[in-house]
Amino acid sequence: MSLLSLFSVSLTLNNHTILNDVSFDVAQGEVIGLIGPNGSGKTTLFNLLSGFLKPTSGSILFKDENITNVIPSKRARLGFGRVFQHFGIFRDMTLEENVRVALEALPRDKRKELGNMDELVDATLDMALLKPYAKKKAGSLSGGQMRLLEIARTLTSGKELFLLDEPTAGVSPKMTHQVADMISKLKQQGKTVLIIEHDLPFIAQICDRVIVLDVGKVVLSGNPTEVRDSEELKEIYFG
Amino acid sequence: MQFLANGLIAGSLAALIAGGLALVYGVLGVFNLALGQMVLIGGYATWWLYQVVELPFIISVFGGMAIGALVAWISFEIFVKPFYKRHVFLPLVTTIALSMILDGIILLLFKERPRSILPSMKRMMEFGGVRISTEQISLILFTLVLLVCFAYILHSTAFGRRIRAVVQGEHTAISLGICAPSLHCFLFIMSGVLAACGGIFLGIDQNITPTLAFPITIKAYAAIIAGGKGNFWGAIFCAYLIAFIEQYAIGIHWFGSFYIPAGYQQVVALLFIITFLLFRPYGLFSSASRRA
Repeated sequence: MSLLSLFSVSLTLNNHTILNDVSFDVAQGEVIGLIGPNGSGKTTLFNLLSGFLKPTSGSILFKDENITNVIPSKRARLGFGRVFQHFGIFRDMTLEENVRVALEALPRDKRKELGNMDELVDATLDMALLKPYAKKKAGSLSGGQMRLLEIARTLTSGKELFLLDEPTAGVSPKMTHQVADMISKLKQQGKTVLIIEHDLPFIAQICDRVIVLDVGKVVLSGNPTEVRDSEELKEIYFG
Repeated sequence: MQFLANGLIAGSLAALIAGGLALVYGVLGVFNLALGQMVLIGGYATWWLYQVVELPFIISVFGGMAIGALVAWISFEIFVKPFYKRHVFLPLVTTIALSMILDGIILLLFKERPRSILPSMKRMMEFGGVRISTEQISLILFTLVLLVCFAYILHSTAFGRRIRAVVQGEHTAISLGICAPSLHCFLFIMSGVLAACGGIFLGIDQNITPTLAFPITIKAYAAIIAGGKGNFWGAIFCAYLIAFIEQYAIGIHWFGSFYIPAGYQQVVALLFIITFLLFRPYGLFSSASRRA
């Protein structure tokens, strides 16, 4: 069964077509890499999925329910977790508060399901290897640590679909491995993940399927090895 | 010492108004230029309920706050909500229009005469040469209690964390499931209630006249610009600072026998705005980003 389905989704802004007839299904537990040159519409597609933009035409289904017009905060409560390209953390809040605020935003029944909040906050920081810094301001962390905090927070807040926008951007090579480990943990837990990434070896390492976008259209889809070796991909990136 | 007490009184009044405004700017990014009129509406509504309708004093005060909340809510729905997401400057224009409409309504309903909620003689006390009325002591204490409550809510409750999250990263907060639009409306109403409280105290401590709106707005803006736009605690600190400097400037003799007439005290707030915009536009406490 598909967890997420896009049917002929298009977006036009100021007479400029940003996304053109995008359709694909995402199965429960699948890890999908979304690649394409700059300006191909990857982040716009994430903005459509998380509800910050509304498609001009087409529809988006989540668990067979049409969510095309559902507001972003409600989508988050339905189970959409987003990791932003430019560190979606609250820099003037402590690490502990950063996790707590995410847990407190969950619907009450989901919060109860997850168990004791203090323990969950501890477990999240532990997972991100950041427990010793629990009382420090998040703004004092390195880029990699911020990314780990953001992913761990999304991971423990009971989300079902993860939209990770360039999770290794601004992260040191050592930390990139930790980010990859964390995404693997998501996969092991049966979570569904969509990742925007420019690092093809990273994508090949963790994704089940890769979708290639170019000028707002899906031009290629398949397993990472097939896509990496395809002539179309070389054509898109190198002309 | 007397000017310190006067500064504390004027600062408490300004802090109430500037604090609400700083929260609104921090969360919505909106400068509400009808703030002074909202202050007056709180004061006039309480005066009308107490002096004209002759309701008990406490009920009149709560009535004034409720009317302040109602006016803020209607203002938000009509003059802010449809515009603030479209362009940052639109609410500036719409709230100027709102201030003109409210000015007209105030003049029409309450005329130009000065109004005082408690016109009888104030009970004055004297501590170490400082003369202060019981009403002024209540204003200082009320503001302190309110600030402590705000500190607790902002830093120790789930609701406060949500507010701070929206101030520091609205998209991230929304993507976590926080409903920012309803927070926006709530905070705008809260700032209206705080402004109304300011107006009520103004009407108790002094007289209220329709011309007071502009100086009140200027003083509140001076506090939030100097405190760092959107920085709640910065605005509170600067509201007190400006009040102390104002009182000091008019309370002492300069160069022997020369003193600054009381009417010029507003200049201090304007100088604050000019100085900070020129030399430290991000304010005393904030970096370039909005904070709470």
